[in-house]
Amino acid sequence: MTPSPRNRDDSPDAGKRASGNPATQAKIELTVKQQREQQKQAKLAEYQRQLARRRRSRLTWWVVGSAAAIAVVAVIAASIVFAPKSATYQAGGTGAQIEGVETFSNATQHVAGTVDYPQNPPAGGPHNQYWLNCGIYDQPQQNENAVHSLEHGAVWVTYDKTRVTGADLDALKAQLPSSYVILSPYEGLPSPIVLSAWNAQLKLDSATDSRIPAFFEEYWRNQNAPEPGASCSGAIDGPGKQS
Amino acid sequence: MTVPEPASARSLPPWWAVLIVAIAIAGLAFAIGRFSTFGAAGAATPPTSDSPEAGFARDMQVHHGQAVEMAMDIYRTTDNSDVRVLAYDIATTQSAQKGEFYDWLVRWGLPQAGGPLMSWMSTADTAHHHGAATGGSAPSEADLMAQMGMATTAEIAQMRAETGTAADCTFLGLMIRHHQGALPMAQALLQLGHDPRALTVAQGVINTQSAEIDLMTSLRAGLSCPS
Repeated sequence: MTPSPRNRDDSPDAGKRASGNPATQAKIELTVKQQREQQKQAKLAEYQRQLARRRRSRLTWWVVGSAAAIAVVAVIAASIVFAPKSATYQAGGTGAQIEGVETFSNATQHVAGTVDYPQNPPAGGPHNQYWLNCGIYDQPQQNENAVHSLEHGAVWVTYDKTRVTGADLDALKAQLPSSYVILSPYEGLPSPIVLSAWNAQLKLDSATDSRIPAFFEEYWRNQNAPEPGASCSGAIDGPGKQS
Repeated sequence: MTVPEPASARSLPPWWAVLIVAIAIAGLAFAIGRFSTFGAAGAATPPTSDSPEAGFARDMQVHHGQAVEMAMDIYRTTDNSDVRVLAYDIATTQSAQKGEFYDWLVRWGLPQAGGPLMSWMSTADTAHHHGAATGGSAPSEADLMAQMGMATTAEIAQMRAETGTAADCTFLGLMIRHHQGALPMAQALLQLGHDPRALTVAQGVINTQSAEIDLMTSLRAGLSCPS
């Protein structure tokens, strides 16, 4: 081995030399073996730093990736959950099924004289040319006139005046709309109260039955009446009209 | 040496990563596609049963129904040709509008029957009442109809009992108040509603009924009606 300037530096007699530069001074003080060891350590440290960096970046990818996956799933879910829904209500008894409502299929024509109706009270059928003006009556009304009002979309509320009186009658009146309704007592009713619309009827025992508002929602001014929207005023007032 | 080459980290990502990203993009596109239909579906979604449009359609039918009734009454009995043609105009116009309001509810799949009169207006500035929901002092149906400018049974009976100019003056007075009652309802719909056709009709009600109020006021002056 030929002595090199560096080897000379490493020689014991060179140890007496000194340098103003601390780095140079440190080098002067190290042996070759020590320097190799130092380089090895530096490489190892660099390797470990790289390992740590890779581990960190892999963790970041997992966090970002799963957050993105959750976000995508959430957006898809939202696009389904918050989709606008169309109305499902179908007027005329096909949407809400009201317990006890009977439906019929009656003809509609104008006739003079009296008619023998299949329902009691009538819920449609041939009728007089003059409709009964809607309103509150305290006397029984002509079937043939009231049926014409049903054809125009009115609901005819009939009651047995021996069984529905005072507070019960007031409770019944309080539930009636201001138009397209006839209230009248009726002789020979099958139940204390009967609600009749064109081709639909509900027999009731109580003025506070929750099916009363349900019946009005379904059948009052129903579009399946033959002439919905036609007037329920301007024809004839029956006897005992209160309002 | 086992130190990994930095270049290897920059090579193509594994196939499963590409697949996951592709699925995520496809899913996102699917959701965006669905969201993009919300606007159209939202516009096509009809007003609900408690919407201002439905409330207006119901209450205006009650309101217009009485105008038709009063106009047809005076049409039968009046001797004044100006009042007769006005009555004809009101009866036919308001019948047609009432039919359109009826059909809105039919097409929107809603019942003709709804909550208390004018309850849909309670959030509008023009509403001076508070619906039954607030409890306590829930106004009666008759009170609400009076607020809508509608005539009472007694007022209609009075008009029917009168003849000649007295009946014409009573009719015009009642119908002016009746028309005035429609204006806050139409204004409330303009403020609260969204359906384009309903807004057009509400503006039309304001324009035409305001014009008819002026006409009826001048008719009353011409007949020297007592104020």
